[in-house]
Amino acid sequence: MAQIFPRWTTRLPLLAAVVVVAVIVGGVGFFWYYGSPEYRNVGYRPSQPVAYSHKLHAGDLGIDCRYCHTSVEYSASAIVPPTQTCMNCHELILTESEKLLPVRESWATGMPIEWVRVNKVADYAFFNHSAHINKGIGCKSCHGNVAQMEKVMQVEPLSMGWCLECHRNPDPHLRPLDKITDMKWQPGPDHAEFVERVKNEWKVDPPVDCSGCHR
Amino acid sequence: MSKHDDKKQATGKEYWRSLDQLAQTERYKEFLHREFPEGASQNNNAWSRRNFLGIMGASLALAGLTGCRRPEEKIVPYVKPPEEVIPGIPQQYATAMPFGLDAFGLVVESHVGRPTKIEGNPHHPSTLGGSNVFMQAELLTMYDPDRSKLVLNSGRESSWDNFVAWWRERAELHQADSGRGLAVLSGPFASPTLYRLKKEFLRANPDAQWVSWEPISEEPMIEGMRLLTGEPLMPIYSLDKTEVIAAFDCDFVYTEPGSIVNSRRFMDGRRIKEQHDPMNRLYVAEAAFTPTGAVADHRLALQAGRIPALLMGLAEALANLGEDIDIFGNQRPPQLTAHERAWCLELAKDMLIRNGRAVVMVGRKQPAHAHAIAMAINATLGQIGQSVSLKRIKEASLPDTEALASLINDMKGGRVKTLLTIGLNPAYSVPGSLDFAGGLERVEHTVHMGLYADETAARSTWHLPQAHFLESWGDVRAADGTLTFMQPLIAPLYGGHSDVELYSLMATGRDLAGYDIVRETWQGRFQRGLFESKWQQVLHDGMVRDSATEDENTGLRFSRLVQHLARHPIQAPEAAIDELVLTPSMATFDGRYANNGWLQECPDPVTKLAWDNAACLAPPMAQRLGVKNEDMVSVTMHGKTVDMPVWIVPGQADHTVVTALGYGRTAAGKVGNGVGVDTYPLRSHHDAYVRQGVKISRSSGTYLLANTQDHGSMEGRPLVREMQVQDYRKHPETIQHMEEHPPLKSLWKEHDYKSGYQWGMSIDLNACIGCNACTLACQAENNIPLVGKKQTRKGREMHWIRVDRYFTGEVGQPEMVHQPVPCQHCENAPCEQVCPVAATVHDSEGLNLMVYNRCIGTRYCSNNCPYKVRRFNFFNYTSDYAETIKMAQNPDVTVRSRGVMEKCTYCLQRINEARQIAKKDGNRQIRDGEIQTACQQACPTNAIVFGNINDPDSEVSRTRARNRTYYMLAYLNVQPRTSYMAKLRNPMESMLQVEKKYGKQGGKA
Repeated sequence: MAQIFPRWTTRLPLLAAVVVVAVIVGGVGFFWYYGSPEYRNVGYRPSQPVAYSHKLHAGDLGIDCRYCHTSVEYSASAIVPPTQTCMNCHELILTESEKLLPVRESWATGMPIEWVRVNKVADYAFFNHSAHINKGIGCKSCHGNVAQMEKVMQVEPLSMGWCLECHRNPDPHLRPLDKITDMKWQPGPDHAEFVERVKNEWKVDPPVDCSGCHR
Repeated sequence: MSKHDDKKQATGKEYWRSLDQLAQTERYKEFLHREFPEGASQNNNAWSRRNFLGIMGASLALAGLTGCRRPEEKIVPYVKPPEEVIPGIPQQYATAMPFGLDAFGLVVESHVGRPTKIEGNPHHPSTLGGSNVFMQAELLTMYDPDRSKLVLNSGRESSWDNFVAWWRERAELHQADSGRGLAVLSGPFASPTLYRLKKEFLRANPDAQWVSWEPISEEPMIEGMRLLTGEPLMPIYSLDKTEVIAAFDCDFVYTEPGSIVNSRRFMDGRRIKEQHDPMNRLYVAEAAFTPTGAVADHRLALQAGRIPALLMGLAEALANLGEDIDIFGNQRPPQLTAHERAWCLELAKDMLIRNGRAVVMVGRKQPAHAHAIAMAINATLGQIGQSVSLKRIKEASLPDTEALASLINDMKGGRVKTLLTIGLNPAYSVPGSLDFAGGLERVEHTVHMGLYADETAARSTWHLPQAHFLESWGDVRAADGTLTFMQPLIAPLYGGHSDVELYSLMATGRDLAGYDIVRETWQGRFQRGLFESKWQQVLHDGMVRDSATEDENTGLRFSRLVQHLARHPIQAPEAAIDELVLTPSMATFDGRYANNGWLQECPDPVTKLAWDNAACLAPPMAQRLGVKNEDMVSVTMHGKTVDMPVWIVPGQADHTVVTALGYGRTAAGKVGNGVGVDTYPLRSHHDAYVRQGVKISRSSGTYLLANTQDHGSMEGRPLVREMQVQDYRKHPETIQHMEEHPPLKSLWKEHDYKSGYQWGMSIDLNACIGCNACTLACQAENNIPLVGKKQTRKGREMHWIRVDRYFTGEVGQPEMVHQPVPCQHCENAPCEQVCPVAATVHDSEGLNLMVYNRCIGTRYCSNNCPYKVRRFNFFNYTSDYAETIKMAQNPDVTVRSRGVMEKCTYCLQRINEARQIAKKDGNRQIRDGEIQTACQQACPTNAIVFGNINDPDSEVSRTRARNRTYYMLAYLNVQPRTSYMAKLRNPMESMLQVEKKYGKQGGKA
């Protein structure tokens, strides 16, 4: 009796198995990488209603972060400044600028400017700015060097794994409290000594329990 | 039969939760058998689970293509930031909630201009920091999307300005005729501003009528005092100053006015810290089984109509024991049974043993003369100025039912041309004996102001949306006269105007802002030059401190009472005649909260019914009628018939039908329409609460009631431990020995919880009154969703802290105990051991955590929880919230979605907030008492204590060290962090003999 199937078909089951494994591994790998907050969110740089440049204000002009983000030291929220904060200066400076038209409009009409959120943790995670600022974690650790950003961009994944990395070992991120907003500050050679001292003094003991962030 | 199946306990008492359980009916067995009741795992819509999954699969595949893109989220800052508002830091404002002739001082939490939580003001004499269910639920009423939003003229949209123009024209016409044909119907109030405006209105319109009335008010007690003193006075009790309390049909811990402070003061007299601490004694005589009856040391169930006779019996007994109490005149005391006479005698003896440190209280369901007799007894015992003080009701418009009847008469006679109804819904709530709706038809111009476009609004020419008290300026006097201030937490959400603004328009024709009107009242009252600082001070405090009215010392003239009793002799009704008892509902009160889902879903402390009222019957009465739970009956009173379902309540007086008012609304809103049965038609304006001669008969069919009674049953293990205080003093260790178990050894290596904060809670069952304030406070604080009647019937209610109710003793004469049950935060938590995804885990401070984003909804944890405190989101209850309801959510707590398990967190958000404050405040320790859980803060009797059990000096550690402490189901070795303190009763030996001889049912058999 002639063979119905040619010889190469004996390899089919093996081939099928290899393909299935490859698809599964590939699929998982695909989502593992492309579905991760690191891939999806880092680099998110939306356009804002006002072309506000952090590089100009915080970098070149050297305005401290807390001039606008006023409540960062004592509230969970750092706040996006009200229109009034812009107008403190821009009532006198660049009063005719076209770029500032939406700001003047908001000021005149009382309608708020709708900024687009860049950095966001999940709704079920409760982040508190003041808790970090008062324990020597600088703005830069999470937000990157904002003073060099024309348009603000997300630089860290803000995923749970990323949070926990620092909660388990905050040492590399600790800095003097008066350097919190300093984008240029770098740990010195005596950093280990400094960490040893302040961890004790400030009682730096970040929670790693679920209850630290999830309520 | 194992030991734990045996319902007999070490005390010899038999605990049961419902009649079904005692009878072991099929339904009950099935309930116990299945962890989740029938249908709980099936979506009951026309969609089957299979085709649902099929369609979901397809849509998921489609959604996958677009779902990767991050949704754009906006941040909307202020344009000009208001002073002192910092996003992320809530603010607290003092304000007040007017309630009848009382006012509850409040502290309201606000997040960026949104009120999110109401608490009692600890300095205010009407709350002392505690709260009740209504206070907690008012928040939801304020955000209710069904509230009226438009000024209506003949049912068409109009505007406030149009109304003002119309009114000015109208007022001119009436004023020309000195106000003839003009009438105002308002709720009773005690408020300097409203009173000033009412006077101004009547000055401008001297012939106008102003009637104040409310379906459920303080009128009977005020009239009682008028009967005795000639003056309308308000009795205010200080129950901590007395040793014996006799409550006659007076549910003073729950439904009666002043319940928050009365229950606190009452419990202050029975907080046994050391074995030999004194304990007061409570006698209760009542028809319905109430929470007050549940905490009584001796309870006599008898028809409410016999209460005045029983009071006369007590007076007579006191007179026989030599007290100079002359209220009888020539009248022979009414005929009491031998049982009742013996009961009165023992009570009278007990009162005199305590040198008269005893007080008699009468509830508002009783007529004025009962209040007068009780106060005469109090005066004889020398208690006026001691445990009860009489206060003149200042700057008030008092409730007056007679005036209402005459107003309706005038309306029918066409003598009223213009009627303004303010803050009331009389078309629904006026008793059936008065035809308000018929009268309203004859009035040419009718104006209605209310929170809702309700039944009265539909029959009125004009309807004006009213601003909620959280949206209004105002002032009000508390029951003891304390001047209390209301300030708005938010601008009127739905564009309403406050009653102050309407009164002002009516009185002066000027359309002013509430703020200016209230300040005008106070301009002349605060010292000149100091006005602004004084104003800031009272707004900060929420009241003028120490401004309670001084006690009234007018001699009580019994002669007036004697004359009254000679004309209206007290008769003890024949027991064979059935009586109808109408009670305020603690879900809707008089119907005003009908659209409040939190209240509707909150199970009644006694019947455990939610979402309905029922005709409550004693078991023997139900037997005679041949009805069982959920059978329909016809209740007929004076020609008016209402069909309603039956609920059998053990311990209720025989020959009595007890049912709640405030249901069966037709224009309440989406939540409240058609919930329960309207019983106002059965009501009369005379004897408004208790009427003899009701006819009740079986009608056809049954009606499904949502009852949480058998839910989470614990099968008779000694969960509530109870002792008589006399035995406890001799053998306090008995409490620990009520449950015997071998030494507890864990299979696991146990965690070490010896360092840092370790949170724990202690609940004193001796102080719990079962009032549900904790349940609602928790609901408000923790964003707990509503599930509706259908789901409640399936046992899917979501309350994180429930209040279990158990009956003890014989079916005919049971006692009742309440036990609040939140998550016990077991150190060896059984739920954690079965979760396949570690969604429920422990933290280092001993909290049993629920991590929502990990939960996949297997419900294994709930199966394995011995306390049945875990709640599962069977549906996405929160997805269709109206925008305003979203505003009511606590921003510090996650709003949960479908398929997620949830449970008590010990208010983790409050712990973390306190921790962050302490850390910022120089890295100090969290102070004891700095964290209050929502249930603890709301509890009117301070039954709940929370804190760090690792600190031996903390309140909770000291409480747990007391010998009444026990742990529920300790033999399971789950090591709960929530402990309980055993309940104590303080019966009198000789009264126990009376009960042994005659039982606990009064009246003629």
